[in-house]
Amino acid sequence: MKSQTLNEEQWQIFQTLLQASDRISVQQIVAATGIDHPKVSAAIQYGEEQGWLATDEQSREELTATAAAASQLQAGLPERRALALLAEPGRIAMRDLAQNPNLPMSDVIKWGSLRGWFDKDKGDLVLTDQGRRAFEQPDADERALELAVARGGTLFLDELAANHIDAERVRLLVQNRGDLAKLKPRTLRFACLTENGRRILTHEVTVVKERNMLTPEDITSGEWQNIRLRRYDVTLASENVYPAKIHLMQKIIQLTRKAFLEMGFSEIVSPMVESAFWDFDALFQPQDHPARDMQDTFYLQRPAQAQLPADEIVDRVKRTHENGGETGSRGWGYRWNVNRARQVVMRTHTTACTIRALARNPQPPQKVFCVGKVFRNEAISYKHLPEFFQVDGILVDKDANLATLLGTLKEFYRKMGFNKIKFKPAFFPYTEPSVEVFVYMESKQSWIELGGSGVFRPEVTRPFGCQVPVLAWGLGLDRLAMLRYGLHDIRELYWSDLDRIMEAPLCQ
Amino acid sequence: MPVVAISARRLNELLGREYDMAELVDALEQLGTDVEDTAEQALYRCPACQAPNDKPMDEEPPKRCDFCGHAQEDPFERFASETVIRLDLLAARPDLFDVGGLSRALKGYLHLQAGLPEFTVQDGAIRVEVDPDLSNEESYRPFIACAAVTMPPLDHNSLREIMRLQENLHWGIGRDRKLASIGVYDLAAVQPPIRYTLIDPQTFGFCPLGMPGVQMTAARILQEHPKGIAYANLMQPYQRYPILLDAQSRVLSMPPIINSDETKCRLGTRRLFIDVTGISRDAVINSLNTLTSALAELGGQIENVEMHYPDRVQRTPDLTPRSIQIRYSEALKWLGIDCSPEEFVQTIRKMRLNVEHQQGDQYQVFYPPFRTDIRHEVDIFEDLAIGYGFGAIEPRLVPTMTIAQERPEERLSNLVRDAMIGLGFTEIMSLLLQSEERQFAKFRMQTDERTVIISNPKTIEQKTARTHMMTGILETLQKNRRKAVPQRLFELGNVIHVDPDAETGTREYRHLAFAIIGPEAGYAESRKILDAVMREINRRGTYAPDDHPAFCEGRCAQVNGPDGLWARLGEFHPQVLNNFGLSYPVVFAEMRLTNVI
Repeated sequence: MKSQTLNEEQWQIFQTLLQASDRISVQQIVAATGIDHPKVSAAIQYGEEQGWLATDEQSREELTATAAAASQLQAGLPERRALALLAEPGRIAMRDLAQNPNLPMSDVIKWGSLRGWFDKDKGDLVLTDQGRRAFEQPDADERALELAVARGGTLFLDELAANHIDAERVRLLVQNRGDLAKLKPRTLRFACLTENGRRILTHEVTVVKERNMLTPEDITSGEWQNIRLRRYDVTLASENVYPAKIHLMQKIIQLTRKAFLEMGFSEIVSPMVESAFWDFDALFQPQDHPARDMQDTFYLQRPAQAQLPADEIVDRVKRTHENGGETGSRGWGYRWNVNRARQVVMRTHTTACTIRALARNPQPPQKVFCVGKVFRNEAISYKHLPEFFQVDGILVDKDANLATLLGTLKEFYRKMGFNKIKFKPAFFPYTEPSVEVFVYMESKQSWIELGGSGVFRPEVTRPFGCQVPVLAWGLGLDRLAMLRYGLHDIRELYWSDLDRIMEAPLCQ
Repeated sequence: MPVVAISARRLNELLGREYDMAELVDALEQLGTDVEDTAEQALYRCPACQAPNDKPMDEEPPKRCDFCGHAQEDPFERFASETVIRLDLLAARPDLFDVGGLSRALKGYLHLQAGLPEFTVQDGAIRVEVDPDLSNEESYRPFIACAAVTMPPLDHNSLREIMRLQENLHWGIGRDRKLASIGVYDLAAVQPPIRYTLIDPQTFGFCPLGMPGVQMTAARILQEHPKGIAYANLMQPYQRYPILLDAQSRVLSMPPIINSDETKCRLGTRRLFIDVTGISRDAVINSLNTLTSALAELGGQIENVEMHYPDRVQRTPDLTPRSIQIRYSEALKWLGIDCSPEEFVQTIRKMRLNVEHQQGDQYQVFYPPFRTDIRHEVDIFEDLAIGYGFGAIEPRLVPTMTIAQERPEERLSNLVRDAMIGLGFTEIMSLLLQSEERQFAKFRMQTDERTVIISNPKTIEQKTARTHMMTGILETLQKNRRKAVPQRLFELGNVIHVDPDAETGTREYRHLAFAIIGPEAGYAESRKILDAVMREINRRGTYAPDDHPAFCEGRCAQVNGPDGLWARLGEFHPQVLNNFGLSYPVVFAEMRLTNVI
């Protein structure tokens, strides 16, 4: 009855055990078979589990001579060289001895004294009787090291007795002398076949070919039938790999676009280089408003002037600023300057894009949005970048009002992944009423302000011929990205660390 | 944005009720203010002017007075602590800058009072003579408005409240004292009539606030006094400085810089004299109206002052209500709410406004003069919405159906993005504004005539807008140069070119750029990738050799084709690699996908 199968290497290992009369060590099997240590250990363990063999362990102290030991011994250890110099006079002043260039005095004194070869006496070294005897006779450690070197570097201390070397003295002399030798406890594992094991291994095993992979020939020739695939530990962890992927910020942009598109908003675009007219004046921002300061806004040297829309439109905006025009407002009460409207800026918000769209198509219904870069005159820091992404949407409809604004916002933020939101009154320059949106971030366990909105003031919409309320809202996407990815430094979004992009999971 | 700390105890004292912190914070938020947080803060007394300076508990005690600028080696002495609500100031609502103004609004919101606050302004006997020379260019600060206010004797709290409000109005209305600045004095130390006139800064001197007994010329105050140094730029163009003097030629102040020490308000002061001077009539009047109305909330009785201009006489402040017409049905439509005329009137009155029914749909709303934010009926609609409560409005959607359309170049960009990711390239994003050096010199290029140039960047890093995509790609490789190669990355983004024929003087193009860094990175590899992308989006082009300083000679090509197809690809010049600290070859390609604008 041949029920057990072994692969070729296991077979070889157990054959070695069968041939041994007594127990043998793992190292011995490694030496005999040339199979590497982990495989031999695994086979021994397998055999033990099967009850074929018994193992036992023995702790032994191993002495390993260092690479430098042989040459040191050949040249004579420092204390032995000093001994030779002492032989004739029997006493030498230490400072004379120290003249000797290649004689490290600390070693001479430390090890010579420990061996009992000489005593110190008022700055002299004096030879002892033991020292005199040592002329003829190498000390125990010297002999042990010679032996170890001859054996390829190691021996066990328990082997020394057989060579008439005092193991205790060897231990004393080498244990703190790392430049010569190291002592290490070793556990040796021995295996010995049981009777049952001998019987089974002799009569009841079959040898199979075991392989890691099948070759194309193995597969096509049918040889695979004779081959057993080596079993893997399928629970082992593997190396991490990451797919090439979309940038973190781009993910937020795409999520935002999708939210708007699904809600029936069409996508629009406008230039990043914008006239002050569309960036400020069309939104009823007075020309002396602090937001228009050089401090906050990038003004352009080239190009320095933009074209304005038709005179009729420019005139309506001018009169709205000055006295309200036909909008029902009293205006700002100042002289509007057309040259300030022609100035060119890097747009400060994407509302410049939505107001352009409103001017193009003032008749309801209109639902449009824009995702784009906006700019603020800031130096780069962990908190601020001079450019970031913003999204703006407007809804032009006969039923547009504060209630439908809140409803639209609720749906929009739900699509952006925020189910818990709340609204708070706010004061923004070109909406009336104005609403600040707060979202509840589970990760922060708190309400975070994320975006502003409102109903455009009539001073904004009427100069362009729009007679119905217009709902508008916007939010900064970089801030959203920082919150969502838990970033503390906004620069991390653009100073792309490739690992960071690759490692961020798509579902995040 | 400045933050104001409002003492909760003081707010309750003015409201006459004991609201807990959460109730106060909630009501303030529902009124539209920005509550930052609540905190415990400590109060420290300035040894020079006695003003209480506040600081959060965990911060070091002050060594410099916020009010008079007095500075010393030893920290000030702490004398009390209090719980405060910290609010971001709302530039649009200076009437909510202080505890008095906030209590006025809260009384309405919390149903303690309703309707327009009444302000009684008595005719006073004080005159101010305005020197005609103040309208001259050599000293321009022509407008002045004054008031006298009798208060309960000033204590630490009221003194601090008044000084803080003064500072905040300087920010909110005065544009940091440029348009208007305020002075507050102890009327007992002043003998009317007051003269608003001009002095020669080199010869005229007085003891500035916080420095009793130290007589300094106006010119020296600008060089040495902390407030003088801070606001010297406002006086720069002028040869003569404005000054307020009393009948004894005692100095009240040198606007907009500093008060004199001898006429300052002290603990126990009861009668205040207030001036606002400036270059904007509106800002001057609004500052005075806001300040005196707030003092009235703190128990002040206001007397007007007669301003004698060369050509006219005017009494300030004028706190009579202003009015605006609004339509009931338009308000309901604007907000999408349903409320009866009675509820409509009550809700408007809750916001401390008065309202009278005219006829039909028309109502007249009366508002206090400090509500300078009201310029259209929609501003009243907003108050109505706040009074009604955002929480009481049911969110709905408009019933209109619309069909959405994404932009074609975003669709195209997404196809290209998918192709690049499929080809094993990782997406990066970089900044559009760059220094000229990073955009051109590092690529051995001359500055392109088509480059957008910014006139006022804070640093040269934002001097130009990108005309090509090479910088972001190479800087990303530079940042990742210690990581394993090869690396494959791409970016999709816009570049901007100046074009005098375009409406805003520029055109934008959507570009794809990609690069491979590594020992094997070569022209053939990039050509393979570029061809693959073109195939996926159904474009064809003709390759021709190109000479470009950023690339190795003989290893750079341009591609041109129908529909404006353009691309360039090549192996970067070793000098370019050096300039970005890279030690492996980099092959790069950039392709124009569409004309965005």
